Amino acid sequence: MDYSNLWRQIFSMKKSLFDQGYLDEQYNQLEELQDDSSPNFVEEVVALFFKDSSRLLTNIEQALEKYPQDFYRLDSLVHQFKGSGSSIGALRMKNECSMFKAHCNDRNLEGCRRSLQKMKREHATLKQKLETYFQLLRQVGPRERAVNSRK
Amino acid sequence: MAGAAAAAERRAIRVLLVEDEEIHRVLARALLRAGGGVVLDEAGNGAEAVRRVREGGAGAYDLILTDRQMPVMDGHEATRQIRALGVTTPIVGLSSDCLAADVDAFIKAGADDFTPKPLSKEKLNRILAKFNLA
Repeated sequence: MDYSNLWRQIFSMKKSLFDQGYLDEQYNQLEELQDDSSPNFVEEVVALFFKDSSRLLTNIEQALEKYPQDFYRLDSLVHQFKGSGSSIGALRMKNECSMFKAHCNDRNLEGCRRSLQKMKREHATLKQKLETYFQLLRQVGPRERAVNSRK
Repeated sequence: MAGAAAAAERRAIRVLLVEDEEIHRVLARALLRAGGGVVLDEAGNGAEAVRRVREGGAGAYDLILTDRQMPVMDGHEATRQIRALGVTTPIVGLSSDCLAADVDAFIKAGADDFTPKPLSKEKLNRILAKFNLA
């Protein structure tokens, strides 16, 4: 199999994720932790993030619909989301979480609702982009990934 | 004798990670495993951490890394209670926010340092070097 074209696509996609601000340096940290003993570490951590974050988004949405609003609880949920996202280097989501927390601090319900919509969009976009990225990586297989991952 | 000295030098560092979120535990485990020479214990909240420290005694751990926001008991209170036991093990607070108030609260509770999440190789190396655990 000709891997060179595949790798070009992979590098281009990864560069685009960084250039467009979807990911930051923390993602590289995850890749550095991937080795022969845990060859799918990055994908597993990312999957864990999307599992946690989907649940958190639902909880945040429910908390926003309650009356009276509990901004302390909202802040706590968004704090969890922010921490989880920062673990995989999800920069745009981390930044939107900071905005959301600022709205919670101001008790700005409309601001919180707008932030939630943005977070949901960013979440869906990042999930789709990373799924495509991992599909490409799976095509090269673990041995090739190990050889090329530091390029 | 040389072998015993070398073995003592290579004694594993015992770290207690106090963290309720699985993703942060997975990342910390991987970072500490990559560094090598670490025996990792985990507590899912502050109360469990205090119990482990109390049961293990003053020298049970070489380093305690604790999250701030956790159910049952948060990191600030856990730090206070661990210090109240007379335990002087270095404690480093962790949080996704780096608010001055959070950092101050950790230090006032008795923590020795604070580092913002997420943990990274560089942050961990800095902590280990600071407390002569590298």
